[in-house]
Amino acid sequence: MASHTSFKDRNLIAVIGDEDSITGLLLAGIGHINEQQKKNFLVVDSKTQVSTIEAAFQEFTERKDVAILLINQHIAEKIRPTVDRYQQAFPTLLEIPSKDHPYDPAKDSVLKRVQKLFGE
Amino acid sequence: MSGTGPRENVFATRMALTNMKLRLKGAETGHSLLAKKRDALTTRFRAILRKVDEAKRKMGRVMQLASFSMAEVTYTTGDISYLVQEQAKLATFRVKATQENVSGVLLPAFEVDRTPGSDFNLTGLGRGGQQVQRAKEVYAKALETLVELASLQTAFTILDEVIRATNRRVNAIEHVIIPRLDNTIKYIISELDEMDREEFFR
Amino acid sequence: MEGLFFNVNNGFLEGIVRGYKAGILTQNHYASLTQCETLEDLKTQLSATDYGNFLANEASLTTTIISDRATQLLVDQFNFLRSNAVEPLSKFLDYITYSYMIDNVVLLITGTLHERDTHELLERCHPLGVFESMPALCVATNVEELYQSVLVETPLAPYFRNCLSAADLDDLNIEIIRNTIYKAYLEDFYDFVGALGSPTSDVMRTILAFEADRRTINISINSFGTELTKEQRAKLFPAIGRLFPDGNNALAKADDIEQVRLVCENIPEYRSFFDNSPGGSQDLGELGIAAQLEDRFFRTEVRLNKEAFLQQFQYGVFYSYVKLKEQEIRNLTWIAECIAQDARDRIHDYIPIF
Repeated sequence: MASHTSFKDRNLIAVIGDEDSITGLLLAGIGHINEQQKKNFLVVDSKTQVSTIEAAFQEFTERKDVAILLINQHIAEKIRPTVDRYQQAFPTLLEIPSKDHPYDPAKDSVLKRVQKLFGE
Repeated sequence: MSGTGPRENVFATRMALTNMKLRLKGAETGHSLLAKKRDALTTRFRAILRKVDEAKRKMGRVMQLASFSMAEVTYTTGDISYLVQEQAKLATFRVKATQENVSGVLLPAFEVDRTPGSDFNLTGLGRGGQQVQRAKEVYAKALETLVELASLQTAFTILDEVIRATNRRVNAIEHVIIPRLDNTIKYIISELDEMDREEFFR
Repeated sequence: MEGLFFNVNNGFLEGIVRGYKAGILTQNHYASLTQCETLEDLKTQLSATDYGNFLANEASLTTTIISDRATQLLVDQFNFLRSNAVEPLSKFLDYITYSYMIDNVVLLITGTLHERDTHELLERCHPLGVFESMPALCVATNVEELYQSVLVETPLAPYFRNCLSAADLDDLNIEIIRNTIYKAYLEDFYDFVGALGSPTSDVMRTILAFEADRRTINISINSFGTELTKEQRAKLFPAIGRLFPDGNNALAKADDIEQVRLVCENIPEYRSFFDNSPGGSQDLGELGIAAQLEDRFFRTEVRLNKEAFLQQFQYGVFYSYVKLKEQEIRNLTWIAECIAQDARDRIHDYIPIF
């Protein structure tokens, strides 16, 4: 199987999130800086441009060593169309809650599909 | 009247009739097999759906706990975010992909792959180190939930795709291939009968 | 004797700081703050206190903003004191800011080591620890340059000169650097208050000795199971405090929390730190004990600082006021955090001051 080899190499978890979420996740040990000095995380604050988030999202989804991409839900909201369009199995996209924004299942692009499937 | 629907383009011979009958038989077996596969996958899919739903809600709670432990760190140690960001070098918390076979579909599953040691051992050395340690553990736990959820979600995406494909095939066999073969067989039989009658009068 | 001349130079400021002290939130305030449902409520409650309308211009409230604004208030008060002070009080106030400076310098070193643009780091620095030549540090692009400019320009220069070489900055873990400098700072401050004579030295030495012991204990506990060797650990212990020298030597060799506890047994006041919670007798495990420890340290710190106000004609009140206010900001942030994250069961874990 062709995808077999590709997903064996995927072992990193990437994050796009606010400072607190990132700090916590980095403490747990997911942070990685590769040979090209590329980080696997992006800190988003109120000053971060939407285009920067979009670019990071593209980069992380295209990288071959990322298995799971975590993104704070309120940040996913900012690039919602891109997130909703994302259908690839790898890397897996997970929307996670953040400190100031509790989790809202109604906004999650995957849960939306789940709801639709249950509804039909 | 038979032979009105679409049919295979064949000469009406006994040979073709036997062939067609064989193909019809094959199609029917295929149909029932695929239908079974679909049912198996759907059962699995439903189970996963429920789990995804559950896990997503659980994640909400776990992450809340985690961010609260971060608040404890900030309380004792102050703001450590920048130091942590700069000190991250090599991932110690990784995932390993394995596979599971469900009715011939390979579903990937992620497993947590942690290497001991960390870039932040000394963070909060003079103050709040224990809180940092604890936040580390809480976040690692939260990540485990997230990884589990990620496996489920990947399984969900892949299964969804496979089920759609299987459904298309089942439907194609049921509504296109089988009627078509049926029509062909009826056509051949009627043609052969016709030929028989012509033969009889000669 | 000192009471005779103290007021000539410092009476005004002592009056001011005692006035500020009256503005510290009391139990009653906390009681109403913990009842708040949202951060907006919290803001309304706070406007009835000395904080006044400090949040009036904030459109969206977050815990970070609350703590930033509260810190800003403290900084303004402090700067007022600082600008009205004369020697040796002004020198004393400078010493207070050094601990924040250490954190800021460490932050900048981290940035430089990773070749980041250090300008954006300036806003992350603690406002109390800002010093004139700090922006100059940002010009440095490599560690060597930074070391030279730190060495020459900042008040922290002696600490760096005595403890570290430029090469150390490159090799050592940043936390080791931080703690080495902090140790030097504590010892220097201790000497300085000693030179000021009684009663300032009496009050301040108690507080600083506790601060030193707290660091010693913390460093011991936090270094278990890390790459920090015992020799390195021993070097980070401040050579003052009630645990010094016997306790420090024993702690340098300790391997687990039990041994730390035994060392602390020797000091009557420190015994209670390791008591397993008097109310609930649940087993907390090592992490639990240590986490509680931090809480008890904070409580003791608050108690010592409160006691500093009992003595007149001495500088300790200034130090204590800053520390108490800092604790109050932590409390506020904690309460705000609990409200924002809906963790009501933990909201009472703040440390009451008055």
